Amino acid sequence: MMRKVIWLVALVAVVASSGMVGCKRKPKAGAGAGGYDEFGGALGPMDGTAGYGSAMNPDDLQAVASQFAPVYFDYDSSQVAASERSKLDAVAEFLRGNPSTGLVVEGHCDERGSNEYNLALGERRAQAVRAYIIGLGIQAERIKTVSYGEEQPAAFGHDESSWGQNRRATFSLY
Amino acid sequence: MMNVRITIATWMTIAAAFAAQAQNADIRIAKGTGKTGIDLSTLQAGADGPSREFFSVLQTSLLRSGWIERGTPQASDYAVVGSITSDGTSVRAALQLVQRSSRQVLLNQTYPGQGAGIRAAAHRAADDIVYAITGRKGFASSKLLMVGNRTGSKELYMADSDGRGLYPLTADKTVSMAPRWSKDGQQIYYTSFLRKFPAVYRIDLASRKRTRVSNFAGLNTGGAVSPDGRDMAVILSKDGNPDLYLMRLADGSLTRITSTPRAVEASPGWSPDGRQLVYVSDQTGTPNLFVVSRSGGQPRQITTRGRQNVSPDWGPHGDIVFSSLIGGKFQICVVNPQTMEIRQITSDHADHEDPSWAPNGRHIACAITKQYKSKVYLIDTMGDAPILLTDYEGDWYSPKWSP
Repeated sequence: MMRKVIWLVALVAVVASSGMVGCKRKPKAGAGAGGYDEFGGALGPMDGTAGYGSAMNPDDLQAVASQFAPVYFDYDSSQVAASERSKLDAVAEFLRGNPSTGLVVEGHCDERGSNEYNLALGERRAQAVRAYIIGLGIQAERIKTVSYGEEQPAAFGHDESSWGQNRRATFSLY
Repeated sequence: MMNVRITIATWMTIAAAFAAQAQNADIRIAKGTGKTGIDLSTLQAGADGPSREFFSVLQTSLLRSGWIERGTPQASDYAVVGSITSDGTSVRAALQLVQRSSRQVLLNQTYPGQGAGIRAAAHRAADDIVYAITGRKGFASSKLLMVGNRTGSKELYMADSDGRGLYPLTADKTVSMAPRWSKDGQQIYYTSFLRKFPAVYRIDLASRKRTRVSNFAGLNTGGAVSPDGRDMAVILSKDGNPDLYLMRLADGSLTRITSTPRAVEASPGWSPDGRQLVYVSDQTGTPNLFVVSRSGGQPRQITTRGRQNVSPDWGPHGDIVFSSLIGGKFQICVVNPQTMEIRQITSDHADHEDPSWAPNGRHIACAITKQYKSKVYLIDTMGDAPILLTDYEGDWYSPKWSP
């Protein structure tokens, strides 16, 4: 019970700091200076301690997750751009309708730069998406993050058209 | 210099070596290049394969040390005297290193080897000769960790310092990355997606046992163990976006070192004395190098120029090598963390990434990407030409030199 209160307080704090107050429904992601979304430890655990786990068939879960459109990012940026936010509405809507199902947000980078730095950058992208979905009312403990850095490209070219497709967040369900 | 016992037969060979030099009283050491000439013509190698291999690896290793060049009998103050013999499979190299000007025998040692041990014996001989002449630690006997994708997935490999003797450490068909050595060279720490989420694993080389050492929610990477073996610097995202922590290896307890709610940290490494850490943070908007005390406190930014400064490795002589995005390409640079003076080492039109100091503090290994193919090279910070170390199929990344 105490835990829930803490989450509520945390959520309110995040929502307030991200400039949502006065908006209709959506948190204003990307409000942080330097192009970074603001999120910290207040968003709650990501280790599935609350016991989420879908009763759905794993193949079905994968099929559903593959329908979620990837969220794309600008170079060196972790902001969830306005153009990408409607994609997350669809993810949140599914989670609302399937309350026992958990989400994994997978962060990716393009091939340029240090792969260790990219691993961290991919994690920040995944967390930015996670923060946004939490802002849409999904419980923090249902959403895990994983970064693949530059290790799982979707496109294999060495130009901006491929890089743009690789700077992304994708989804899986559990 | 070493005290050595020398047989009469050895003395006779040595006397002959001195005689060769005596014809030319003007002993010249190649000062212009900073290299010492060494006469190898006095080393008798058998014509068989194993003997020739020992000689070839010895000569290559001496030249790669950076301090040695092949000299003529007349112009060389140093000569390697002795014989390399073989029974067809094993080799026995009985070597003496003589200094002609001082008439001293600096080294008198026998190097036996069989199979892969032939190359190991030649590496040891080269390191002993380099040390006897220069007083500097060689790197021929050291090992390299590397990541290679020739099987179709990124696996961890160990190789000799010359890139040969390739030995796979993982066969997991996932991504293995960010390898680091423990100070004693007995353990390897690295990041793997073995269980879907990135976690830090330890491989104990003696027992071949693998242990997962950091497996918090979100990101676990870095895995750099302090020189005293007590703490592991690790990048975790369990409390928000990625930050730098120290994990006490004895009990897994954590100390948080950075708290940057907007920035990510990456690539931690230790100063040689274990009192400070270097890492990458993008708190200034782009990734730069920072140094912080092991006990925490205010970090100090040590790079300010360039769009990206990444992949630091703190060398045995106190300088930090890193990769800097200069003119659209990653180049190897060295920074003195006290003065923040930066020296650019490479400048050719290719990406140079993940530099790692050799134990001699002079050479580095790094991955060079040309035409979208990545290979590991040996780079000399004093100007010798780069040497390809991974003449193998596939791409090769992230070399890490053993201590």
